[in-house]
Amino acid sequence: MTDEAAPLVQFQDLAVSYGLVQALAGVSGGFPPGPTGLLGPNGAGKTTLLKTLLGFLDPDRGRMAAFGLDPTKQALEVRRRLGYMPEQDCHLPGMTASAFVAFAGELSGLPRDEAISRSHEVLYYVGLGEARYRNVETYSTGMKQRAKLAQALVHDPDLLLLDEPTNGLDPQGREEMLALIKDVATRRGMSLILCSHLLRDVERVCENVIVLNQGQVARTGTIRDLTGPRRQAFDVRFKGDATGVLTDLKDLGGDWRDGEDGFRLFLPEGQGPDTIFRLAKECGVQVRHLRPGAETLEDVFLAALGHEIQG
Amino acid sequence: MPIYDQGYRRYEARGPLRQVRFWPITREALRLILSKRAFLGLLAVSFLPFVVRVIQVYVVTRFPEAGRVLPVDGRLFGQFLNMQIGFTILLSIFGASGLIANDLRTGGILVYLSRPLTRRDYVLGKLGVPLALNLAVTLVPALGLYAAALSLAPDQFFAWELAWIGPAIVLHSFVISLFVSLLALTVSALSRSARVAGLAFFGLIFGLEMVRVVLQHGFGRREAMVVSFQADLRSLGSSLFGLADPELAMHWAAPAAVLLVVSLACLAILRVRVRAVEIVT
Repeated sequence: MTDEAAPLVQFQDLAVSYGLVQALAGVSGGFPPGPTGLLGPNGAGKTTLLKTLLGFLDPDRGRMAAFGLDPTKQALEVRRRLGYMPEQDCHLPGMTASAFVAFAGELSGLPRDEAISRSHEVLYYVGLGEARYRNVETYSTGMKQRAKLAQALVHDPDLLLLDEPTNGLDPQGREEMLALIKDVATRRGMSLILCSHLLRDVERVCENVIVLNQGQVARTGTIRDLTGPRRQAFDVRFKGDATGVLTDLKDLGGDWRDGEDGFRLFLPEGQGPDTIFRLAKECGVQVRHLRPGAETLEDVFLAALGHEIQG
Repeated sequence: MPIYDQGYRRYEARGPLRQVRFWPITREALRLILSKRAFLGLLAVSFLPFVVRVIQVYVVTRFPEAGRVLPVDGRLFGQFLNMQIGFTILLSIFGASGLIANDLRTGGILVYLSRPLTRRDYVLGKLGVPLALNLAVTLVPALGLYAAALSLAPDQFFAWELAWIGPAIVLHSFVISLFVSLLALTVSALSRSARVAGLAFFGLIFGLEMVRVVLQHGFGRREAMVVSFQADLRSLGSSLFGLADPELAMHWAAPAAVLLVVSLACLAILRVRVRAVEIVT
């Protein structure tokens, strides 16, 4: 981590299981102040880590500390300083958004008057000002996501936990939600953990990331550290058996993975597309399509996980 | 206006944790339930027996000979409270069935449990709803009836040997209200549908009552009384207020033990069902 500030959350050799299923297998790390991404494929243990932080799950072994407190023993103090936006739907039937958010604030310890006042402010902030007197059950998916964010923000938590906040949103809704989360993190200075399997979402908002895979920390660091200088990437489609090209590319220090339509090739530093044409010629295959592109966080992510999430 | 141009105010005035954390849950749920006119109508109907009993007390004090047909003494309160059991069941069906079931369906349980609340706070907050409603139709009218009896027939009721009526009313009202509320809440925690939970609670109460009737009348098994929760509650009331009901004639310890065991089972079920994380192994 480049951030010198003490981590808000630290965990050491943390293991959590659901019966026989090991969800976290001795993970260690920490979440520094500011926005941090928690990346990983489905089932990697991201939500389990958040739920342990909330004190919902008792670890089998290891330690976790949030704001210097133990979530298993001081869960109420920890939760008071957290705002949680769960992945799944969560609302209270029969309530308007303003009543719902005010109630959430009151449950977090705000005085009733302050909770009501802040619920209106927060609902305006998330873009539900005009719809705040509507029953949450009548909201669209995007509006429900915003209401979920509002209930997590209403008591002004020290750390916001966002579990897949863009789930089920259309592209525009997703952009707006990410803009909102980015605003919370940058302009309002709130620390947050953005838990997602959508790499672009994390890239938009966070500087630091922790990559989980199969209950273990696969990588940790800033996105810049994680990706390093991004390699030159090309989306290529060959005619013929490309196995030889791919093997020769690896021998040269490059890499490849399956792309949406063909292969994504990563060239070693100093090499250009002519290398691809040369290798293809040597192996007797034709290059039918070649499109340059930058190595994305997704590529880095897949590399970090050893291509285990392909397919 | 773009969303990022809109204001957000930080809140720095964080106070200590509340001591009584369940109250907002009870208050908000009561507000939602009492905003329904049909429910208010049911609540109003639940007070009809109270009105009838007050009239009975009034008539007997004005026309003492009517007391031979409608005696006014300590038993009046036991009969009244036993009659109110039916209303507590109805109120719990319509007022408590969705309390936890809806939270499980909509994920609302996470809204509560991700806050500085314990699972006990949550259950207490939810239990407070049917408890308040049930006490409103047992304790409140029964004490009102007692007050009416004291004011209309002071010679009869201001007597040391009848001083037990007040505490007996409080005790029986709490036993009825607490048991019915706890059972309704537990059934609500076993389903994700308020409707299913309501039907299950109705089936449990009236189904077991049917079983009791069949066993007692069809097979002459008097001890079968304990299988019906309604009969257990009525039997306790009869013992407490000295009512003579041959169907419910059993030592008070038997129905009390049944109610206690069922209540403990309810608490165990609530402990398992009220969780922020559903663990499927």
